[in-house]
Amino acid sequence: MSEAIQDIRATAFRFSTRAALTHIVLTLGALIVLLPFYTMISLSLKAPHEIMQQTGGFMGAQELFRDDFCVKLGNAVQDCMVNPIIYNYTTAFEKAPLLRYLLNGIVVTVSIFVIQVIVALPCAYALAKLRFWGREAVFALVLFCLLIPVHAIALPLYIMLAKLGLTNTYAALVIPWTISVFGIFLMRQFFMTVPDDLIDAARMDGMSEYGIIWQVMLPTAIPALMAFGIFSIVAHWNDYFWPRIVITGNRDLFTPPLGLREFKGDADGDNFGPMMATACIIVTPLIVCFLLAQRRFIEGITLSGMK
Amino acid sequence: MQQSRAHLWFIGPALALMVVILLIPIAIAAGLSLTDYSLGNSGAEFVGLENYEKIFTRSTYEKMFGATFRYVFVVVPLTVGLGLGAAMMIHSLGRIGDIYKTIYFLPVMAALIAMAIVWEFAFHPTIGVVNATLERGCGTILENWAWYAKGCERTFPLWLNDRDYAIWTVSFIGIWQGFGFNMVLYLAGLTSIPPSLYDAAEMDGAQSGWDRFRLVTWPMLGPTTVFVITISFIRTFQVFDMVEAFYPQGGGPSKSVYVMMFAIYEKGIQQNLMGIGAAITVVFLAFVMILTLIQRWFVERRTHYV
Repeated sequence: MSEAIQDIRATAFRFSTRAALTHIVLTLGALIVLLPFYTMISLSLKAPHEIMQQTGGFMGAQELFRDDFCVKLGNAVQDCMVNPIIYNYTTAFEKAPLLRYLLNGIVVTVSIFVIQVIVALPCAYALAKLRFWGREAVFALVLFCLLIPVHAIALPLYIMLAKLGLTNTYAALVIPWTISVFGIFLMRQFFMTVPDDLIDAARMDGMSEYGIIWQVMLPTAIPALMAFGIFSIVAHWNDYFWPRIVITGNRDLFTPPLGLREFKGDADGDNFGPMMATACIIVTPLIVCFLLAQRRFIEGITLSGMK
Repeated sequence: MQQSRAHLWFIGPALALMVVILLIPIAIAAGLSLTDYSLGNSGAEFVGLENYEKIFTRSTYEKMFGATFRYVFVVVPLTVGLGLGAAMMIHSLGRIGDIYKTIYFLPVMAALIAMAIVWEFAFHPTIGVVNATLERGCGTILENWAWYAKGCERTFPLWLNDRDYAIWTVSFIGIWQGFGFNMVLYLAGLTSIPPSLYDAAEMDGAQSGWDRFRLVTWPMLGPTTVFVITISFIRTFQVFDMVEAFYPQGGGPSKSVYVMMFAIYEKGIQQNLMGIGAAITVVFLAFVMILTLIQRWFVERRTHYV
């Protein structure tokens, strides 16, 4: 008996050293993972000279400093003394229409998601619950299209849009993403699990097929739709490649990633503060949502794992 | 159900969009890859396989394949390995491990373009935190390491602007960004392994942790691994954001980071050489499709959709 207890103690001890080691390794990893986030936030708070001389720790001294650009405009020096945080963040918003970019980002991601659902949901319903000639063929086509990464066919898509005169429009940002084959596939798999009785009952009540989709199937699919929504919104809020291709000069249509990139393009080395402030502003919305609803986000982003 | 034509209205829009947005562009790319088309020109010459010949013979494209494969074959194994390692460690800790899960997943959520710009600053040769940290190690035992001593004596590498280091530095950022995604997939896989299997293995004489891993964990994670590897390949093949942000012109020092997506962008969009851009697109699609088909073949032996 006592031997057994000793055994358990030995195991417990072994396990706790092992757990401690695991914690050490994971913490080291976490430090590397967090390093750029730390740098980004820290630089967005500091004054230019503190950034260049790598002084001031995380926050910087938060002393007022002279804004040379303001002096150049002919203002008195004492009027041009600014606080680093305020300077960085106001410059971020003033130098470029950042609010406009954020708004564009919201408009584009939301329209993409809404259209994806409007297109995919009826198709998924038909594939899962209606019998018709050619159904297998359509589903085979869906499975084939899952193989195609849209980014890879950017060039022909760009040519098509250019021929239609649609480059530099919101339409160009949205159109290639209106069809989500993955969304169709996902919803179809989900609808397969919905009992036929539910649909039959709705039909008995005299509901049209449209009514069934939007009033019966849609509400049952909310959890799957939320996961898909997160997947879609994160992908398109962060997307840089496609906007870079179709939006070439019109700043009014820039999405947040393009706005940040433009900032980098003309930053003359010493304007890291406002640039990092912009980066913080662009990254923060999704990170905050993620921290608030972690499980849902992880489910959503890794949805493609359900294939 | 009563015979109705409703399904046509349900399938129609999706089908039309699939054809117009996904299938026709592939046909266009295949067609244009045989020509010297440029946007704005009225017509185009048919040039046969000349574009493909260029891709497989010219040194620029040799560099393109070199950079792409270097990136892919460093990032995929390491993101998969680190993902699995992190998942197993986190899983062994139980609920406390969740905090690490959250942290490791952050890079997946953050816009890569923003984080690339931050990394570029961190790797900055004079004001970046990486070299500043390395310099602090000078004069210590680390100097016994020849590479380190050389760094202290002269300067530490320029990282992103040094042709010997650039592709590896970019790969590092890719790994930093991607392994959290694989970790989450592996965590899901680990939770679905029934604990009774470990008891059974123990009864059959699997004593060490390695035995348990070899006999239970690894085989049970098989399907997850197949999926994780494929999706990592497809994601890494598409690397673009960082390369464009670091090297808007030319694909890095001596074209050492000239990856395929950037080549498509440079040839097609910047230089308006649609023919060659389309040919690279076709080669790229072939790679991705072959990889996915291999994965399907693995998976199909287990499950059937229809």
